[in-house]
Amino acid sequence: MNANLLAVIMNSTIRSTTPVLLAALGSAICSQVGVFNIALEGQILIGSFTAIVADYYTGSVYLAVLCGVASGAAVASLVSVLQVKYQAADMVIGTSVNLLVSGLTSVLLYTAFGVKGSFSNPSLKSLPKINLPVVREIPFIGRVLEQLTFIDYLSYVLAAVMFIYLYRTVQGFHVQSVGKNKEAAGSLGIKTLKIQMIAVVISGALCGLGGSVLSMGQVTLFTENMSSGRGYIAMASASMGQSQPLFIIVSSLFFGFCQAIGMSLQNVIPSQLTLTIPYLATVVALSIFGRKKLKKK
Amino acid sequence: MFLELKNITKAFGQTVANDNISFGLNKGEILAVIGENGAGKTTIMKILYGLNRADSGEIFLEGKKITIHSVQDAIAHRIGMVQQHFMLFDEYTVAENIVYGKEPSKKGFFDRKRAMTIVQELGVRYGLFIDPELRVEDCSVGMRQRIEILKVLYQDADIIIFDEPTAVLVPQEIEGLLKTLKHLASLGKSIIIITHKLQEVMDVADRAVVMRKGKYVGERKISETNIRELSYLMVGKGIPPRQIERKEPGKTVLEVEELYYESDGVSILKGLSMHVKEGEIVGLAGVSGNGQTELIQCLTGLLYPSKGRIRLNGADILGKSVREIRDAGCSHIPEDRYAFGCASRADLEETAIMGYEYQTTFSHRGILNQKQNCSFSMELLTKYNVKYNSIRDQAGALSGGNIQKLIVAREIEHQSKFLIAAEPTRGVDIGAQEFIHDRLVEKRNRGDGIFLVSSELSEILSLSDRVYVIYDGRIQGEFRREDATTEKVGYLMMGGHDEQG
Repeated sequence: MNANLLAVIMNSTIRSTTPVLLAALGSAICSQVGVFNIALEGQILIGSFTAIVADYYTGSVYLAVLCGVASGAAVASLVSVLQVKYQAADMVIGTSVNLLVSGLTSVLLYTAFGVKGSFSNPSLKSLPKINLPVVREIPFIGRVLEQLTFIDYLSYVLAAVMFIYLYRTVQGFHVQSVGKNKEAAGSLGIKTLKIQMIAVVISGALCGLGGSVLSMGQVTLFTENMSSGRGYIAMASASMGQSQPLFIIVSSLFFGFCQAIGMSLQNVIPSQLTLTIPYLATVVALSIFGRKKLKKK
Repeated sequence: MFLELKNITKAFGQTVANDNISFGLNKGEILAVIGENGAGKTTIMKILYGLNRADSGEIFLEGKKITIHSVQDAIAHRIGMVQQHFMLFDEYTVAENIVYGKEPSKKGFFDRKRAMTIVQELGVRYGLFIDPELRVEDCSVGMRQRIEILKVLYQDADIIIFDEPTAVLVPQEIEGLLKTLKHLASLGKSIIIITHKLQEVMDVADRAVVMRKGKYVGERKISETNIRELSYLMVGKGIPPRQIERKEPGKTVLEVEELYYESDGVSILKGLSMHVKEGEIVGLAGVSGNGQTELIQCLTGLLYPSKGRIRLNGADILGKSVREIRDAGCSHIPEDRYAFGCASRADLEETAIMGYEYQTTFSHRGILNQKQNCSFSMELLTKYNVKYNSIRDQAGALSGGNIQKLIVAREIEHQSKFLIAAEPTRGVDIGAQEFIHDRLVEKRNRGDGIFLVSSELSEILSLSDRVYVIYDGRIQGEFRREDATTEKVGYLMMGGHDEQG
């Protein structure tokens, strides 16, 4: 295989992985405390939208990312109150929130910018691209790591931090215990409700960060429903990675790779077909993984 | 006195669970708090452990008045409790479970290695050995209880409360637990054990406090009392030894021939043959785990035997579905009342007709006959003395003894020719136990066949007309009532051979 093409695909894989990885970490923290959060899709989309709006009005990419994160957390706190505190059905809340955000962003897109479908503007700033000074000179690796944003790097750091927190600290041990046996944790003096609610809000912030990189990373624009199922793919990724951050890096890279392959094959095979690759991969991966799990039992 | 409870009163709505209760506990003593279900023994212990708050009354520890408003308060006063329902994390290791809430740490990082050594040291100190690296999901019930005890010891408790600790254990585990209790007391721990099993009280306790209907009835030194006196105090009346009139059994109801059952290549039933006749109680004695559960499940259609014949009222029922077998006239009081006997979230009326709801008395063309079902359920509840608040209560909200009475009521009152009663009195108090036994004998006297499976040998010997002993998936021997003694049956239960054949 052509080394150059391989490097391009790997580079594209890394970029496609970031939003999925971040959202998958969000999904994982929710499952770790025993909350089934399917509003990830909406949490990503609101992040993408808010980031672009803030970018347009403030002209600062960092403020924009911050707003994206905050908006994801805000939507998640809605989920957290309704689903965790008042124990509404998770399916209903998740689906409604996803539809709500999808509709809301379309409406706001029209009222704010007077456009339908998508919005882009030359005054929008994209996230600065990092080209590491020494690494860029290395022939193959330089190509693989070129033009990445700080969020791409940050996502791996976050995964590592989350792993250390959950699996090495006392606090993380308590957080995990809530998902394993809520009643027992409560009886031993752990504030289970508070931990669950905070976890959902954190998942929102992570999704918001993923959403921001989606609309300000490779491209700088907002399209209706631009999250296009990444929230669900992230759930698949988290479940394949058994909600363990380091495994999730691997599973998310797999989904990122599928997306990259899909995009690079667009010229050979009709794009409608290649775009289904990540979703097909989700179904196949989950069924293989599910069967292994069954066998283990 | 090391610990003193004075004038504790606690009411739940209209019911007074504890009415002006006072008693004390000495250092290094094992105190049994005994009474029937609903006597208020668990309530007063929950008050001591901070799970309930008393309406009035005082608690003194070493002469000083203390207040306990939460579990944390109790732990701070070195009071610990091993509850009936274990509070453990299945996926965590033994060590992680034991140190939970007070983890050894370095700068916020969980020091799992030290947790392991701590647990090992605790085990050595108290003679409670357990592999700290084991996951709880791989532990037996007895081991889980040991983990709970270690948890309390790790919290440095000086007073340890056990709520019905033997209810969940098999006989061999019970023996181990009683030894542990004595050992802990000899190390200076003060122990309170809530129970209604008087033999255990006699074996292990120094003193017994008796409660009845929320009131303190009296206390006895174990060295100065006996089971009869204690049960008299508990129930409020003497229980005469059971007399069962002799009766010639009728024709055969259940016949099992050469039954084999295999699970994952391991054979569990190895050519078991037995029969039950009309008007006869047949007991199955055996150390649990010798195939009793599988036999019951093969008979009721929950498992498919690999070979053999089962005939009920002359009809072949091998391989038939549960519904077909029940319709053929087999009712079943299951071993595990929560897994098979009831749905814990169903209400009492639903529980009372469950499994019969499709019959014409209870429904018509798929529509439940609510009026009739309600009055039928009320009738059962009254006739069987079930204590409940409302017929819309969830089954799971009743105490173990009361839900068991309702299940027994359902299975007996639906008048079938044959009844399988598996552990019919596990975890219920003396009063309920006598009541259930009376109903079983009544059913036998009506001419129905009963197959009684129990891990309590005394229960089998007192009720059965005929006793089978099961060992390693086979019938090891058979006795008539007059020949069945504890020694003879016990010998076969351990795998010995009956010389007379």
